[in-house]
Amino acid sequence: MIGSIEVRSLSRSFHTTVRRPGFTGALRSLVNPERAVKHAVSDISFDVAPGELLALLGPNGAGKSTTIKMLTGILTPTSGEARVAGVVPYEDRERNARNIGAVFGQRTQLWWDLPVRESFAILRDIYEVPMAEHATRLKEFDDILELSSFWDTRVRHLSLGQRVRCDLAAALLHDPPVVFLDEPTIGMDVVVKEQVREFLRHQVEQRGRTVLLTTHDMTEVERLAERVVLVNHGRLVLDGTLDEIRRKYGSTWQVRATLADAHTEVVPPPGIALLRQEGPQVVFGPDGPDAPTVHQALKAVIERYEVTGIAIDEADLEDVMRAAYVHAGPGAKGA
Amino acid sequence: MAVLHAWRAARVTPLGELHAPPRMTAVLVRLIVQVVLVASLWNGLYDRTTVAAGMSRDQAVTYAVLAVLASRLRELDQYAGRDTVIQHMHFGTIVYWYLRPLSPARYHALRALGEQVYGAAWALAGYAVCLAAGVVEPPRSAAVAGVFVLSLLLGQLVLYHVMLLLDQMCFWTVRNSAAMLILIFAQNLMSGVYAPLWFFPAWFRTLSTFLPFQATLNVPLSLYVGRIELSDAPLQLAIQAGWVVLLHLFTRFLWRRAARRVISQGG
Repeated sequence: MIGSIEVRSLSRSFHTTVRRPGFTGALRSLVNPERAVKHAVSDISFDVAPGELLALLGPNGAGKSTTIKMLTGILTPTSGEARVAGVVPYEDRERNARNIGAVFGQRTQLWWDLPVRESFAILRDIYEVPMAEHATRLKEFDDILELSSFWDTRVRHLSLGQRVRCDLAAALLHDPPVVFLDEPTIGMDVVVKEQVREFLRHQVEQRGRTVLLTTHDMTEVERLAERVVLVNHGRLVLDGTLDEIRRKYGSTWQVRATLADAHTEVVPPPGIALLRQEGPQVVFGPDGPDAPTVHQALKAVIERYEVTGIAIDEADLEDVMRAAYVHAGPGAKGA
Repeated sequence: MAVLHAWRAARVTPLGELHAPPRMTAVLVRLIVQVVLVASLWNGLYDRTTVAAGMSRDQAVTYAVLAVLASRLRELDQYAGRDTVIQHMHFGTIVYWYLRPLSPARYHALRALGEQVYGAAWALAGYAVCLAAGVVEPPRSAAVAGVFVLSLLLGQLVLYHVMLLLDQMCFWTVRNSAAMLILIFAQNLMSGVYAPLWFFPAWFRTLSTFLPFQATLNVPLSLYVGRIELSDAPLQLAIQAGWVVLLHLFTRFLWRRAARRVISQGG
């Protein structure tokens, strides 16, 4: 299906040479190398619907980039299958290339010694984009990314933010239904980040592109993604919407209440723990896996005690993700 | 086919150079210095003799100066423009070559074509000046000129594939600097850039026939100056064509192998 991504039991292993420490170890590795198998991605399955923006998250070395490289056709999986817009990417690289755009962090695909517009023109010819279509699309990108102020500058003279904006435009100039973005905003300032987010939102909501995004920036995830897939140690840890994940792992809330009577004996409601009490100030938190949501806890505290003031602290998405990594061990699937 | 529309990729090197005037000035200065020194050297060497290694003074000077000019056709610069295999491997941007509907092999060939056309413009301009100044002799006949051009084209194809082999090495070794140094020396020595191959001992010339380097420059230059007779041209052209086919098949095989390596080296 145009714009969809289907991943079934995808795995990729690499054969590496174990480097022994020290001079003797290095010599031994040279004479008698010890080979090891590294499972970068193991049995990962998920789908991305056309027009959906999915955040593929995980710590460094989790297997995110390897997964993206298999989906872009750069890398052939050891086992399993993937289809991107109906094409098996690693079997038909050139056909797949017409359906996808990609940005790999700070690695630019632009020609270093040429003005940006020349790079765009080369890509236009490589992808066989008609002139009029190219001009229209460039104008659309310029409206959001403000490229025209520097697109006559040589790439080597651009700032990082300018270059990444140009790279984003370059990746989408041939109107691909599927876009892979591997940490596209890494190292960028907040203003440019927001500009890029707006651009991505526009591409998903107005142009219906499917986007698979990897990032370590949870603000970006909150602003852009409805659904996330978490991988760790090459395995899928969970797959769900942000709400589902928050419900399951975002239980690190605190309810701070000021009791009307400082001498009230505090016996917290089920699923809620008393964390601290100093005079009339009490702090409640979740107790066990069946703890209520923060809003349920708030209601329970108000119903049970006479309070003169109440406030809640919710864990941000970064805390939620941390909790998800800790709680859901490798191999756990579904939110 | 994308390759028909992607001709603009051939403009990468010439455009990059035009946007960098200091680099063009450096090329011009180097070319003038090399031509003057080489012409002076060979004129000096022929001060006490009229014929050496079967070549007259005019033949030797013409051969040596044309060798200098022809070496401009493909610059062995691996670091200009950040669009060489070694640099893409270093920066991890080689992945983009595999994300386009134009195969890396075709893109590489288009880029090289642009480079060689750009180099040819320099060589032609230098040739015109040298011819007008009487530094080099004109070809003896139209037939010699035609065979020379054909032989030079085949020689450039051989050189392209030799350079491609070095580029492909980067997929396995990431860097190829040591191999590049060896190749530049071998290419200059065995193709006749340092000195016409006819001045080397017989065993060296025999050894050269088993290597592709002499097919890049020595054959076309020897045809131009008449050190190889026109009657021997078909055999020499056939040998050059043989090298092109052989190297093409081998590099095509390596492109396929390299595609499996791209991820482990490309990041």
